[in-house]
Amino acid sequence: MDKRLGATNIRVFVGVLVGLVVIVAVIAMSRLDATGEKGSGLGSDFEYSLEQLAKIDPDLILYKESTSPVDTGFETTHAIAIDSKVSIYVAGDNAIRVFEDSGKILNEIKLSEAPRCLAIESLDTADDVSDNLKIYVTMKDHVEVYNSRGKLLSRWRGLDDDALLTGIAVSKNDVFVADAGNRIVVRYDKTGTIINRIGQKDEDRNIPGFVIPSPYFDVAVGRDGLLRVTNPGIHKIEAFTFEGDLEFSWGQFSSGVEGFCGCCNPVNFAILRGSDFSGADDRFITCEKGLTRVKVYGLYGEFIGVVAGPEQLVESGKVEICDSPAECQLGGFDVAVDSHGRVLVLDTIKNIVRIFSRIEDSS
Amino acid sequence: MAENFKPVPDRRKFLAEALRYAALGTLGVIGGAAFAKRHRLVREGGCVDSGLCRDCELFEKCYKPQVWQIDPYKCIACGNCATYCVLEESAVKCVQVYPICGYCKICFGFFEPEPHDINEGAENQLCPTGAITRKYIEDPYYEYTIDESLCIGCGKCVKGCNTFGNGSFFLQVRHDHCLNCNECAIAAACPSEAFVRVPADKPYLLKRVDNAE
Repeated sequence: MDKRLGATNIRVFVGVLVGLVVIVAVIAMSRLDATGEKGSGLGSDFEYSLEQLAKIDPDLILYKESTSPVDTGFETTHAIAIDSKVSIYVAGDNAIRVFEDSGKILNEIKLSEAPRCLAIESLDTADDVSDNLKIYVTMKDHVEVYNSRGKLLSRWRGLDDDALLTGIAVSKNDVFVADAGNRIVVRYDKTGTIINRIGQKDEDRNIPGFVIPSPYFDVAVGRDGLLRVTNPGIHKIEAFTFEGDLEFSWGQFSSGVEGFCGCCNPVNFAILRGSDFSGADDRFITCEKGLTRVKVYGLYGEFIGVVAGPEQLVESGKVEICDSPAECQLGGFDVAVDSHGRVLVLDTIKNIVRIFSRIEDSS
Repeated sequence: MAENFKPVPDRRKFLAEALRYAALGTLGVIGGAAFAKRHRLVREGGCVDSGLCRDCELFEKCYKPQVWQIDPYKCIACGNCATYCVLEESAVKCVQVYPICGYCKICFGFFEPEPHDINEGAENQLCPTGAITRKYIEDPYYEYTIDESLCIGCGKCVKGCNTFGNGSFFLQVRHDHCLNCNECAIAAACPSEAFVRVPADKPYLLKRVDNAE
């Protein structure tokens, strides 16, 4: 009797043990995350978050998006420019497309290779309507000039193999091209002849030289007769005479909203004309990559406000501008301003143009 | 009577026979599925080792030994590489491609997004394990190097470098560590399907220099 009872107890014990093992195995299997859905399990020290930096005080935001974005239809976009009649020119893929601000496409100019940057020269004195403006577009190493109907007027001689032209500006008699590859600004006359080079490191002339870690390097001509050039590696915008003398510079690194964040910013900028004919109240609209911010500065770099921050430029609630490495490398937005004071931002990830108006104007 | 006699089947024998046929059937289904999968892989040119290749080039490809690697253009630096590897210390490490690097003074793969100061103080560094060294080259350029003995492959620096810089930091499986498991645990947990099989004689997928353009 005792022996039978002992054998039964052992069987019950083994059964319970097996049952427990099965239950533990089932629980372990259900908790096992072989697909990575539960995340890495790393602590907060290992998280990369820009959430705090992306938040901008609403009182600093001076603009709001006034119309629906213009879909360019391009797969890749590089540059935006505006003419005096407020038509929007976008360079992308192997073409330049011209849009109304309603998004209606007005014209397309096919190009032989991918454009890099764009400038429009309005010639209101021209008799023939097709000659009322010139479109200057840079490819990797050279400049091409078109009329408004898309006729190629001239193709300038290319620079060297290292050239990577990323910015262009046109003044009355000159064309300035920012060459990120050689870290220099090349000054041409209107026929494409090189006059001089600007910005080469020269301690005797107190010129620090351009620091261009990534291919973003922009130029513009101010109404004060000075050339403005970004120096993104040292977070500055520098003012040069056309002869190449450095007059002054402004800008500083800061993760805060008043400065330029990241390794190399600003990437692009435009000059917003004020009411003063001399340009004394002109303002700078700057564009930063990484933590994408479009901001307004005074003529000498005093921070005025924000056009749009990450929360305005990406989907609601998402502060990081890019997901994949490829997207991140496209994240250098371009910016232009029109004669109504509106700011047009070319989103080079979504390939759309966002149009922002001053809040008091749009309301 | 004897002619009409039908023996009652033995229950144990019946069960054993049924089990045998069921096992054979299961094996047949598994074998068929494996054959179909291999055939599909061969057709798509993605097989690892199969005798079914008819095309010579494909045949060579199919027979070449392959290893796991991370496609840096797909990797989103989620952090799973640090914890899903079967090794105690992950075989995934950050690498630096110098021709892409901008040698920035303020590298956001090295510095916290809001550094207290621009120097090598631990409080300013992004890497939780201090695996990146910063060395002055000439004003304003600095060189950044990964100390693989400290790197756990979390990808935090990769995110900073991709977001703000040229993306010269990225994650790779280091084959001096990797066991090359048939079913890689990190590959199964990779949300962006960045883990791919590559020929063992070209085991690294480095970013192209023109990426910086």
